[in-house]
Amino acid sequence: MLFTRRTMRRPLFTICVLVSAFLYGGMCQAQKTQATYGYYLNGEPVRSLAPSGASAVVLFFAASDCPISNRYVPEMRHIEEEFAARGVVLWFVYPNYGTTADAVKQHEAVYGSEKHVLLDPDHQLVTLARAKVTPESAVLVPEPRGGDTFRSVYHGRIDDRYVRLGQERPKATQHDLERAISDVLEGHVVQQPNGPAVGCGIIGHP
Amino acid sequence: MTSSGAKHVSAILLCAGVFLAFWAKPFHVRVQAATAPVTFSRQIAPILYKQCSSCHHPGGSGPFNLLSYADAKRWGIQIKTVTQSRYMPPWLPEPGFGNFADSRRLSAEDIALLKEWVESGMPEGDSREAPKAPVFSGEWQLGMPDLVLKVTSPMQVPASGTDLFRNFILPVPITETKYVRAMEIRPGAAQVVHHANMLIDRTASLRRQHPDDWMQGVPGMELTVDSGDTFDPDSHFLFWKPDSPALIELSGMPWRIDPGNDLILNMHLKPTGKVETLQATVGLYFADKPATAHPMLLQLEHDGAIDIPAGDAAFVIEDELKLPVDVDVLGVYPHAHYLGKRLEGYAILPDGEKKWLVLIRDWDIDRQSVYRFQSPTFLPKNTVLHMRYTYDNSKGNVRNPNSPPLRVKAGNRSVDEMGHLWLQVLPRPLPHTEEDPRVLLEQAWMQNNLRKDPKDHTALYNLASADMISGDYRPAVDLYRRILTAAPTDVRSLIALGTALDGIGDWQQAQGEYERALTIDPQSADARFDLAHLEAKHDNYVAAEQEYRRLLVENPNDAVSHNELGGVLVTVGRTAEARQEFESAIAIAPNFDALYNLAGIEADNNELPGAAVLLERALKLRDDADAHQLLGNIYAQSGKLADALDQFKSVQTLRPKEAVPHRQLAQLYSQMGQLRDAINEQNAAISLEPKNADDWNNLGVLHARNGEAGLARKDFEHALMLDPQHAAARANLARL
Repeated sequence: MLFTRRTMRRPLFTICVLVSAFLYGGMCQAQKTQATYGYYLNGEPVRSLAPSGASAVVLFFAASDCPISNRYVPEMRHIEEEFAARGVVLWFVYPNYGTTADAVKQHEAVYGSEKHVLLDPDHQLVTLARAKVTPESAVLVPEPRGGDTFRSVYHGRIDDRYVRLGQERPKATQHDLERAISDVLEGHVVQQPNGPAVGCGIIGHP
Repeated sequence: MTSSGAKHVSAILLCAGVFLAFWAKPFHVRVQAATAPVTFSRQIAPILYKQCSSCHHPGGSGPFNLLSYADAKRWGIQIKTVTQSRYMPPWLPEPGFGNFADSRRLSAEDIALLKEWVESGMPEGDSREAPKAPVFSGEWQLGMPDLVLKVTSPMQVPASGTDLFRNFILPVPITETKYVRAMEIRPGAAQVVHHANMLIDRTASLRRQHPDDWMQGVPGMELTVDSGDTFDPDSHFLFWKPDSPALIELSGMPWRIDPGNDLILNMHLKPTGKVETLQATVGLYFADKPATAHPMLLQLEHDGAIDIPAGDAAFVIEDELKLPVDVDVLGVYPHAHYLGKRLEGYAILPDGEKKWLVLIRDWDIDRQSVYRFQSPTFLPKNTVLHMRYTYDNSKGNVRNPNSPPLRVKAGNRSVDEMGHLWLQVLPRPLPHTEEDPRVLLEQAWMQNNLRKDPKDHTALYNLASADMISGDYRPAVDLYRRILTAAPTDVRSLIALGTALDGIGDWQQAQGEYERALTIDPQSADARFDLAHLEAKHDNYVAAEQEYRRLLVENPNDAVSHNELGGVLVTVGRTAEARQEFESAIAIAPNFDALYNLAGIEADNNELPGAAVLLERALKLRDDADAHQLLGNIYAQSGKLADALDQFKSVQTLRPKEAVPHRQLAQLYSQMGQLRDAINEQNAAISLEPKNADDWNNLGVLHARNGEAGLARKDFEHALMLDPQHAAARANLARL
């Protein structure tokens, strides 16, 4: 199935590279990450998103009470399984102001627990990834200079299943996030999403 | 000059007046907004509590709650977005194209208020001004149901994937016919279920098709069930969608459910991101009495024309149906799959007027619903119903299940298409006849289906059945033969042909068809039963007994065969054996016929109290004139005249155009000394049968006993005019 999808995209590759190259220059200004990235569910600050040598970090901006976000949980697990062996680390990021560690734990009790989960009440990762809604995703890559700093090379929708609120495909036809991760791993220019992320607005400080 | 100047000023004022009138409303709104900001407490809470909370509450189908200011603020941005786009609340019909009850469509004013509230920072306002949030109990809405059914095995809905369509079969553990006045469906996991339809499977046909796996639920978007051999067309929309309250039927319109029927819950399920366990329950509330009004579901469709080329963004199918009778339309249920775009349903009245029934500009299968009219929509006879559906099979249709688009035909899978418009109609009684108008509707509907597909097996069969009900056996024979030409081994049609042949008096050929059916399927209980019945009808009691006994060897719990065998045995004078058969039938499943027949034996043996008890039981199962009649006679013989009177009145109600009940009532009133009532009833009998000399003679006797000799004389003379040989009338006249 995955092989088929990649094969079908191949004829578009040249065009995409050209378009992406144009976008890339504008978008991918190196953004240094800050020293902490939010908080673990035990309240400790998250100081590292990935061990050294990781190929990429994928952020999944989630909300426990957003139905579209919840529907993407299995898809994100699938992506995690697909790329974990290639040095890709997935974080579930809960960015909404007011979301508590207990609420996330309750959510995990129902939807399954994750290895990497953090709360981002100060929107450090939201800002880095320019996330607007849940669910939304970002792909970070280590800065060439090393250390625990990353820059965002992709942010936006996970796939094209949702066109807008109320308009949904029976199944996705474009898997933008997967394609972006593959681009990173294969050293290609990262193609940006072909449509907006659809979901529930991220809640900031009042 | 002055005058001229004054005119000029007037003109300016007039223009200003027009301008002010034009802008008056917007100015007013702006001023109001400036002085009194929109707050949750004052304007927003009433909107949310009325239009949103019924789904958005704990345990409801909405994914989050909207029951407080905090809830509203949390979701304010989304509320603004989804109300602006009219994604929420879900409501597909276009306003002004059908006046529906329980519309969930928000007014433009409410949408503007929500927008203004969000954009002004979502202020709470004075919380004391807010209405009390609605309370949603987990209890049954109408109290404890009379019967609760639960899906046998819970289903695990996977966390992800495409939508699922599953049919859960609910056997109904009842031993006598019930009439359902209300039903509440509890889906079990409300957020997974987009909608559900309940079907009545009169013959448990789906369960028989899936003997090993029915408990897990049968996949499929739509299904066809066998409605059996009695004319009882589907009549009610038994539909559930998120926020559906308990479904209460209109007065006098409960739906019937018999022992042996299954209910089938057809559910559209949507994965939520986590594995969900689904086990629906259904609560049924029974009415005391059967229906007095009989609606019917009609369907317009043209699935046979669905062959949509890949890429076609505007493929149209149409259907039309001319109404043979006056009807009131109670509701509509449009249905298509993922390619449906614009759905139109309308009626062209005989005078050419176009009356919209429903218009949906942007169909969404996820939001489908039954729409019930605020008040019934009357459509006179010869109105033509129209359905016109447009499909979008282009890649621009985001709901297209095929990417890239493929050629699509009609079918039961989600990647196939359908185009149906169901209407619930209540036919008005036919003038000058007691014929069931639903039969005429059925005939028109099936003829329409045959126009679209002359080989439509179901339409041929149903049309033949409708002819049979109307007593038109000859066309029915032709139709069954058409079916058998295409499907010569179709046992059901062979049996039906036998019945139709018997109807035209060709019982030997009928016998041959039943035997042919038994040759093809020796286990066909229906064929053997009909053959036995035919033998009995034509006085071949030995053969009939033999066939009934074979049936009972195969199925000792066949109550109907026990009863029929009892009937044969009574006829040949073996009353004791007959009694055993009737008793066996009653022990298996109390049924009207066996109770009535056994009561007859008891009455013949002058066991009047026992007979009365049996008839009283029978009448709880079926309101039957003969049973009332017999019970009335028994009461009268037992000296219970008032009870007898009640029974004869019931006979009169059930047979309003017959003189006999009036005669009996007249006789009973006479016995009770209520001569005036007796005379009224006798007059009623005469009004129905004015040429019956006996009735005139009896009226004369009543008048004479009431001291009205002059009237009595005229009555006797009238009797003699009708029948100059009427000895009693002559003697009575001589006695005056």
